[in-house]
Amino acid sequence: MASHEVVQYRSTIRSAINVFTFVFLMVFLIWTVLPFIIMFVSSFKNLLEAFNLPEKGDWASVISVFFDFEPTAIHYRELFTERNFATYFFNSIVSSGGSALISVVLGAMAAYSLSRIDFRGKNHVFFWVISTRMAPVVAVMVPLYTIFRGLDLIGTLPGLILAYTTFNLPFAIWILKGFFDNIPYAIEEAAMVDGHTRLGAFREILPLAAPGIGAFLVLCILFSWNDFLFASIIGSGGAKTLPVATRELVTPTSIQWGKIMAAGVITSVPMTFLGLLIRKYLVTGLTMGAVKE
Amino acid sequence: MFRAPKNAISTSISRRKFLELGGGAATALGVGSVAVGMNSMIIRRPAYAQSSDAAKWRQYEGSKLVFMSENTPPSFAIRDNLKEFYDLTGITVEILTDDLPVVQQKIGIDLRGGQADYQLNYIQDKPIGSPFADFYEDLTNYTKDDTLPQDSDGYGEDAWFDNFLRACGEYYVPGRIVAFPYDCAVACTFYRQDLFESLTKDFEADHGYRMEFTEDTTWKQVQEFAAFFTKLRNGGREDIPYGYGQHHGSFAWTSHLDIQRMLFSHGRWNEFDIDDKLGSKTPGPTNWGDEQSVLIMQKYKEQADVSHPDNLANGTLQLNTAYAAGDIAIQVQYHEFCASVEDEKNSRAGGGKTAYAPCPKGEKSWVVGNGDVVNGTNCGIGGIGINSAASEDLRRAAYLFAVWSVSKSTQLNVLKKLGGTPTRPSVLAEPDVQAARKRPSSMPNALTFDAVYDYGIKDPHFVLGPKIPEANEYYSILLGELQSMVAGQKSPEEACNGIKIQLDDLHDI
Amino acid sequence: MTGTTYSTEIMSSSGKTVRDMSDGGVVINYRPSLVNPPASKRYYFYLMAPALILLALITLYPFFWLIYMSLHKVDLGGSGDTWNDFKNWTRLARDMKFLGGWWLLAKYSFYCMLFEVLLGIMIAVILDNSRFEKVLVTIFLMPMMMAPVIAGLVWYYLYNSTFGWYHWIMQSLGILGDKSILGDVSTAMTAVVLVDVWQWTPLIVLITLAGLKRVPRDQLEANMVDGAGAIRNFFQITLPNTYPFLLIAILLRFMDNFRFIDALMVLTGGGPANSTKILPTYLFDVSFVFFKLGRGAAIALTLLIVTIILGMILVKVFQSPSASTSQGGE
Repeated sequence: MASHEVVQYRSTIRSAINVFTFVFLMVFLIWTVLPFIIMFVSSFKNLLEAFNLPEKGDWASVISVFFDFEPTAIHYRELFTERNFATYFFNSIVSSGGSALISVVLGAMAAYSLSRIDFRGKNHVFFWVISTRMAPVVAVMVPLYTIFRGLDLIGTLPGLILAYTTFNLPFAIWILKGFFDNIPYAIEEAAMVDGHTRLGAFREILPLAAPGIGAFLVLCILFSWNDFLFASIIGSGGAKTLPVATRELVTPTSIQWGKIMAAGVITSVPMTFLGLLIRKYLVTGLTMGAVKE
Repeated sequence: MFRAPKNAISTSISRRKFLELGGGAATALGVGSVAVGMNSMIIRRPAYAQSSDAAKWRQYEGSKLVFMSENTPPSFAIRDNLKEFYDLTGITVEILTDDLPVVQQKIGIDLRGGQADYQLNYIQDKPIGSPFADFYEDLTNYTKDDTLPQDSDGYGEDAWFDNFLRACGEYYVPGRIVAFPYDCAVACTFYRQDLFESLTKDFEADHGYRMEFTEDTTWKQVQEFAAFFTKLRNGGREDIPYGYGQHHGSFAWTSHLDIQRMLFSHGRWNEFDIDDKLGSKTPGPTNWGDEQSVLIMQKYKEQADVSHPDNLANGTLQLNTAYAAGDIAIQVQYHEFCASVEDEKNSRAGGGKTAYAPCPKGEKSWVVGNGDVVNGTNCGIGGIGINSAASEDLRRAAYLFAVWSVSKSTQLNVLKKLGGTPTRPSVLAEPDVQAARKRPSSMPNALTFDAVYDYGIKDPHFVLGPKIPEANEYYSILLGELQSMVAGQKSPEEACNGIKIQLDDLHDI
Repeated sequence: MTGTTYSTEIMSSSGKTVRDMSDGGVVINYRPSLVNPPASKRYYFYLMAPALILLALITLYPFFWLIYMSLHKVDLGGSGDTWNDFKNWTRLARDMKFLGGWWLLAKYSFYCMLFEVLLGIMIAVILDNSRFEKVLVTIFLMPMMMAPVIAGLVWYYLYNSTFGWYHWIMQSLGILGDKSILGDVSTAMTAVVLVDVWQWTPLIVLITLAGLKRVPRDQLEANMVDGAGAIRNFFQITLPNTYPFLLIAILLRFMDNFRFIDALMVLTGGGPANSTKILPTYLFDVSFVFFKLGRGAAIALTLLIVTIILGMILVKVFQSPSASTSQGGE
């Protein structure tokens, strides 16, 4: 009898917990996706429709008010016809892709070497490498600008690629070193025995690190794609990327919300897919290799 | 899923070759910058004093210039019209547009480095002109140069609206003009005439005078109007807008202008005892903290208390958005916003509901001592100027664009297209512009011209200053203290003294 | 899956090696390590050189430049910098916005961390091994992929008092009056923290999940046998085991708060009444709005120093046993 009551009691708690976790998850889910939904739907509304809200506290008509609009693709169309978003899209792809490629190639070379040798002060070099990534961008923007100006790279895609490399390269070195650390030196030795040169041996082991390298290529793209400060100052007007172009839709006389939402969708969708694609490496990447799934 | 990236460097390449390859790649980056970049270019075929005008215009045919501008309608309109300039001169101009803070920052870095990536600059009077005036060319040297084409309307003070040339062009050194007025934003009052008319009876019953707006309407009356509307709204009348809205948000400059209008209206108060139109690099101790400033601060706080509840979050633009959404009954706003308010597709305050008047007048009883009461009006006059660091030919080519961009015909085109804000009175003389000042208007901004060009910008109402090199930091100091006071964290005295201490510290006093 | 991938790729690149490599274990056994001694150091230095030189160029120069600037009065135009007896530094001591900026940065980071870690752990524990883990984690990841500046714009839109849906929701729930969350000195900080929480809680979820997978099952079971309930188990076994992961996450987020001000600049720009003027935004003002490059450099250096200290702590955590990275070579 008594034990039966305990079981009953426990199961009520259990179901209470279950209900709580369910509600909690639901709320968190809504909290996570609602900005996306509103962004997406608003990108098809004209300004007055977007500004429509129900009466305060009138929860019943939320859905009907929110979906009360004539869908229009005008914002998307105008972004491309009036605002050159095709060019900005292209700039975003080239600058983030270019920088990712350079970072991964140079980074792999450096990471491989750092992984294979020991020298005095190696740890210091290594810390310096990673500290360059931690530096607050605002702090070093003026001197960086001077350097880039000296090289005639302001407002150019190569300039932007180089700028992104400043934060992608240390990242790549740090992460890829972890990869090469896990590949035994023996494999290279074997390759050299087979008559490969050292560089050839390096080539032989590259495929072992390939999936990881591919994933971090994507991560580098993600970081650069989402950057604003570099793109705005180093990219200046000549190499405008999507985030900068979107920010510019806030003009002194109007904030073009419809276009901003459309631009938000255009900027976010590719990255969301890329991010999901490399989901397995995401934790490793975002924690600079400290955490592996 | 990911294939191994093929290593670019094959094993047969020697180390030395490899390094050369690296060099080659670096060179490729450099070469690319020429192709993709915004580097300017100059091609010259000399013109002479006796050359034809057409030849003078075309002396830099094939050149390329960069103009860094704020993203205001005129810049967009001019960008759309660039073909016309190209046809006239053969010069390609790239117009880069950005938010003013970003423009400020880019121009600053460019000038700081002694560079001239942007040969042509948008010189917004105080935010850009005050700190950087020394880095721009004195345009008076160019206006006298007969190897350059000149505008038949001239560039003297009378070629522009009152005070405009001095506002954006003259800093610290009399007679040295660094910019031509390119566009302008002048403050005036936007109010809901429809509601004023429908509610004036109720108002009159309470206050004993009619609710209407004229050039003699005082700040005290505005406060009473605002309180009246806000009280109705707070009493549950959702159809009635809040009474008033101030300029806050995060863009400090416009907040300064907001309180400056009120301060200047009362005894023509100024921050410093310097020539308001010329400015000074050593302005001396500030007047903040004196009795007049404390009193107006207090009134400003009272005004804030009867304003839109989201007062502190509303910058100039958001304020106008709220006004256009029908949430505010009176705003003192820049006349360039008129077009967006009148745009019936996107505004609930358009279609004849809004009327325009000069900025409110000072209230005699709020003046400490016996100063005058005026309709304190201020502005942002955007000038176009030339970076001194550019080469001589680039500067001369840039001058061609500067002249063209502020010419009467260009301004007229802009006005017709996108709600422009002319700086030359000759534009207003055009018959269709005259007609547009009355409803229905084909150029909505023209509806404000009576209040702005015929009244507000004239002395004694117009206030330009303070032109000091530290203008931007002053605005930021002011914004912090002003908002602390509006939020109730500081008393008006504390706020005024806080400004005084920091501002004097800034000037090493 | 990955194993087969690389062996086939090797096959395509060079036929000969494959036979030795396809059965990996054998390779190691037959390696004659004396035939070909480890490559000379010089070779590795050459490989390293391009990356390190590039990094040096773009980091060391700015660093020394900052030190130089912080000791001079810097005039525009590139010439005429004058030594000013540490005035940039002494000024900081009485600069309330500088001191306040540090305080606000600490406060901002603290609240972000607090909510993100609490929420993150809760979500991770709930999701761990549940039926919907894969799907939900995938959805929860989305905010991290959004450019911060876009996130700032979208949230600005949501918060707006005239047309913002979140403003409407908060009003309807009675949390908020007519004032928007960004327009009140007492709530603006919460507003910007919420955006950071929205965007970065998923990272904590991911990291905690990774940590949870490493919690030794046998320890859990042993503890259960000792009569521990789920809650005790969590605090005695799970949390200590995931702790190093959380520490890394916290440090990383903390440093990111120093680096990224995109969203905050869009949302409040540091206002109202400087209530969200965290140090990096003030630095932005000093360097790019006031153009006091000397003073800006001094502020930047303080920020850099703190970042470097944090970074050292981070690296220490990295090298702790939990994050195992073997040294190269054999």
